[in-house]
Amino acid sequence: MLKQLQWLILKDLRIDWRTKYPAAGILLYITSLIITSYLAFTGFIERETWNALFWLILLFISINAVAKSFAQEDDRSAYYFYLIKPSRIIVAKLIYYGVYQLLLISVALSVFSLFLGFPVATSGPFFLNLIIGSIGLSSAFTMVSSISSKTNNNAVMMAILGFPVIIPILILSINNSQILVLGGSLADISTNLITLLSVNVIIIALSFILFPFTWKS
Amino acid sequence: MNYLMRTKWWKWLTMALLVYVVIGGFLFPVPRLPILNETIRVLHFHVPMWFGMLFLFVASVVHAIKYLSSGKIENDIMSNQLAIVGTLFGILGMLTGMFWATFTWGEPWSSDPKQNASAIGLLIYFAYFILRGSIQDEQQKAKVSAVYNIFAFAALVPLLFILPRLTDSLHPGNGGNPGFNAYDLDSNLRKVFYTAVIGWTLLGFWIATIKIRYKLLLEKIDD
Repeated sequence: MLKQLQWLILKDLRIDWRTKYPAAGILLYITSLIITSYLAFTGFIERETWNALFWLILLFISINAVAKSFAQEDDRSAYYFYLIKPSRIIVAKLIYYGVYQLLLISVALSVFSLFLGFPVATSGPFFLNLIIGSIGLSSAFTMVSSISSKTNNNAVMMAILGFPVIIPILILSINNSQILVLGGSLADISTNLITLLSVNVIIIALSFILFPFTWKS
Repeated sequence: MNYLMRTKWWKWLTMALLVYVVIGGFLFPVPRLPILNETIRVLHFHVPMWFGMLFLFVASVVHAIKYLSSGKIENDIMSNQLAIVGTLFGILGMLTGMFWATFTWGEPWSSDPKQNASAIGLLIYFAYFILRGSIQDEQQKAKVSAVYNIFAFAALVPLLFILPRLTDSLHPGNGGNPGFNAYDLDSNLRKVFYTAVIGWTLLGFWIATIKIRYKLLLEKIDD
């Protein structure tokens, strides 16, 4: 089991390493997105706006980074269809894209704070909330990507199917993050954070249960 | 659903309940509350739409699960048609709500958290229909859309029940606004309201059974 997981994760890593352009494309996407928003917002950005803008950028990074997770499996899927249990495939994907997105977010955060500053008052809990929120985003999008890869119009379907599903996670984490940016403490967001965690758990559990059905179809 | 398709008595019940609701809803005396005044009667037409929508969506998810476990195409048809009628109820609830809000809140859209949440909820189901439209293969369409149906419903639940509590809603009964329960009004209002919830929900299922029957017949002709 662990060996297969390791193999699957390494496989994704190798694919990304060999065809460097998707990762490089995402990095360029992050930079141009942030520079555009810097040019649009420079001079009058409030703390609340900073927060909302940051999460919106995260949302777009996440949807673009994770969209390829199953789209790239098209020609390969038949190959290990018979070899590996679908539940292991989804666990491997969730782990790989969770980490992948955390890396992208740390890049995005550093570029973003370089241009637009870092006005967060309580940074420890801010990062905690960021990590939990981004795991939620990446796992929901991974599942949505597995659904949308079955359709003809992958990119558009990803956005249509993904955005409404992601909104509970997004609203909760933006809400938490705003409280923290304005100087709240961990105690102020603890109930919201628990709700956010439980939404994450529901989404991951459902992906685990439902993925085998999309995979086999 | 199978039971509802086979039996008839509940259709008579629906008719009786709805006649009572329409007469009672428009004619029975209602308590005078500030701002609300006569618009309180929307309680019998707007709120039951959301109840009906939720029951229909739950039934849709149940049939999606049934489809995934059994693979019978009838369950997929049922799930799809229930979702269609549920969305119709959602749109009606939205319209009645906006109509009511024009007279009480002064504008149709006031960025009330419940309004926003239900708009997003409807977006989820529109996405579901587009997903169905974009897959050609029948089996695959049924399977993938069943998966999305279950997944989306899991997202809808926190949206409708948890998030509106984060910020105060303008809805009666929330955030210190005069509510229907807070005043415990007269039992007349309550009687009509409960009847309305049952009546409109049953009407939704009635519409769904007709649509399902039609689709099943089309399926038979195709074979």
